[in-house]
Amino acid sequence: MKKWSSFFMAGSLSLAVLAAGCSGGGTNAGSAANPTDAAGSGGKDEITLYTIQSTNPNFQAWLDEAQEKSGVKINWVAAPTDSDTRQQKVSTILSSGDSSVDILEVNDEMATSFKNAGWLEPLQDTVLTEDIMEQLPQGYMKDMLTSAKGDVLGVPSYTGYLALWVDQKKLDAAGMNSIENKEDFINFLKATTKDGQYGYGGSWEKTYVFNEIATFVNLFGGDYYDWTNGNSREAVKFMYDMANTWKVTPVDQIADKYEQMNQKFIDGKYASVFMWGTGTDYKQANRYGPDQIHMVNMPEFANRSIFTDSWSYVLNSASKNKEAAIRFLKYAASEDGELNGWKNFDRYPARADVAANEAVTGDIKEIYTEIQATNEVRGRPMLPQTMEFISEMGTLFQNYIQDKITLDEFCVKAQEAVERYQ
Amino acid sequence: MYASRKYLAIAWILVLPALIIRVFTTIYPIIETFRISLYEVKLLQGIREFVGFDNFIQLFQDSKVITSMGFTVIFVVGSMIGHIVLGIALALILNMKFAGQKILRTIVLLPWAMPMVVIAMASKWAFNNDYGLINDFVRWFNPDFNLDWLIHTNTARFAVIAVDLWKDLPFFAILVLAGLQFISAEMYEAAKIDGAGPIRSFISITLPMLSRNILVLSIFFTMWRITSFDIVYAMTSGGPGESTALIAYRVTTEAFTNLNTGYAASIAVVLFLVMALLSWLSMSAAKRVDY
Repeated sequence: MKKWSSFFMAGSLSLAVLAAGCSGGGTNAGSAANPTDAAGSGGKDEITLYTIQSTNPNFQAWLDEAQEKSGVKINWVAAPTDSDTRQQKVSTILSSGDSSVDILEVNDEMATSFKNAGWLEPLQDTVLTEDIMEQLPQGYMKDMLTSAKGDVLGVPSYTGYLALWVDQKKLDAAGMNSIENKEDFINFLKATTKDGQYGYGGSWEKTYVFNEIATFVNLFGGDYYDWTNGNSREAVKFMYDMANTWKVTPVDQIADKYEQMNQKFIDGKYASVFMWGTGTDYKQANRYGPDQIHMVNMPEFANRSIFTDSWSYVLNSASKNKEAAIRFLKYAASEDGELNGWKNFDRYPARADVAANEAVTGDIKEIYTEIQATNEVRGRPMLPQTMEFISEMGTLFQNYIQDKITLDEFCVKAQEAVERYQ
Repeated sequence: MYASRKYLAIAWILVLPALIIRVFTTIYPIIETFRISLYEVKLLQGIREFVGFDNFIQLFQDSKVITSMGFTVIFVVGSMIGHIVLGIALALILNMKFAGQKILRTIVLLPWAMPMVVIAMASKWAFNNDYGLINDFVRWFNPDFNLDWLIHTNTARFAVIAVDLWKDLPFFAILVLAGLQFISAEMYEAAKIDGAGPIRSFISITLPMLSRNILVLSIFFTMWRITSFDIVYAMTSGGPGESTALIAYRVTTEAFTNLNTGYAASIAVVLFLVMALLSWLSMSAAKRVDY
């Protein structure tokens, strides 16, 4: 009898161990101050949001308002801060049909990768109705968030620019008032390069540098998909000269992502950078302002051109809470939703009518208005195998900058990459 | 007879949960990986076609994979030489009797207790020319020293190996130390009476007595190095270019970033076969070394 009871206990223990492995992962519940009508039965009025904003100090305020106004209880899962890890995790969730997350925030790279894979729910009939679509940047919506079948798959949560940021003290020291064209840009970089400080700082890590290569290609009037184009060549040669001929930017930034670049910019090592966002890092370091670090309009080389980006809310096709998810997305696309993002996250509204709202004020609005009026605004060039393409171009660029390959070799291999990943 | 059958049945029933878990978490994924390696699977493009051994032919022509294989060999060999030479040296130091010996043994183990991803992220900053503590230290002796370690192929590779050594060397040394403590003091005393000095004793007693221990440790440490990916994932992202992309990092990138699962599986299969062969060779060698 004793043996059998021991056997029974051992068996029970084994089953318990097996069962323990089947328990679900953790998500964070929304605020305790949920609207009473949001506490739905059987998860009907609940969604799980995969968000990049959970570490923002104002996240809870944003969440409370989003829950109150959408009438949906929002559980959330924090996305990893590292871009590679984030991309891999989202890819795994979507490709495996994981329904534990309903709404995900994805960037342009992810949106382009996933838009034709069938993993995202079309939103044109339910959320992005004609009146809302009219207010969103048309080119961007078409390039980044519309599938080959014509489905619109994401709600952009803001409009951002890869803009030129300058340190005003260095601009003053260079005796300049503004940077209007290529000559001004070069003069500024040369004038501010001294004593171990550089006129220009970049984030030339292989998966980041693509943003800057494409920006210069646009400024020079080139075509990122055509490396037989002389202007594209000229743009990359210009970057090479910045690093190796004029030495106005350090080669060692090929190891830097935005966190390293921004730290150096804040510390005064750089006089200018191209950067996304509305200057949150600079504000936190008390380095933001018209007499310190601030955004300026793009200089005009052959073109005056700028990239726009966004993080968009997308609906997982495998979601079991689509009704509630659509209610949240309608809120996110509404004036209230966009203003909530502006108020709490400094995210400039993607909708033109909301951006014009008097609640949106300040220096960012002024410079954004100037940029929109004077620049050719484009979405970034991305191919279906986005990350592979970005990484390959970054590797080629790093090899060129370090003199491991020539400009001709770079252009030939870049063109091969375009054709391979197209 | 009946009793022994009953006990056998009970033993099988008790082992069964572990076996089931093993089948689902190890055997099934291995079989599935072999199967997928024969397909071209590109999730983003919805492609899934049987291609036979095309993926295997492609990987031996893929410059990124070849670079990864090359660096993996350098990484494993360099790191293991460091582990063995420095590990034995550290173990001998820790085996000496001196005040604070126990505290030192504890402190030495600290890096091993930290997660590799945390160490690798910190190392990215540590090897930075402007903010890094490595260059700060070098500048005590050479104030004009400037080097961004992670942008040149050779220095980046050296940095990756150095960080790997810094983290796991203490663990290796502690395990060697355990072996050292099994060597009888009488053997050293006898050698001393016969006129052997410390070097002679080390060569003739310590090394032979430790050889099996070191060989077995080396098998495990080599396997861990071959499958290591987190260090470059967090520290260099495989850069500059692809020069520090370990083969396991390449598998991860192909599988989870590029979503080329068929191709990733074929690299994983090659890695699996190489590891199986190395394990077999190492185990055979271990059987021959016996003191």
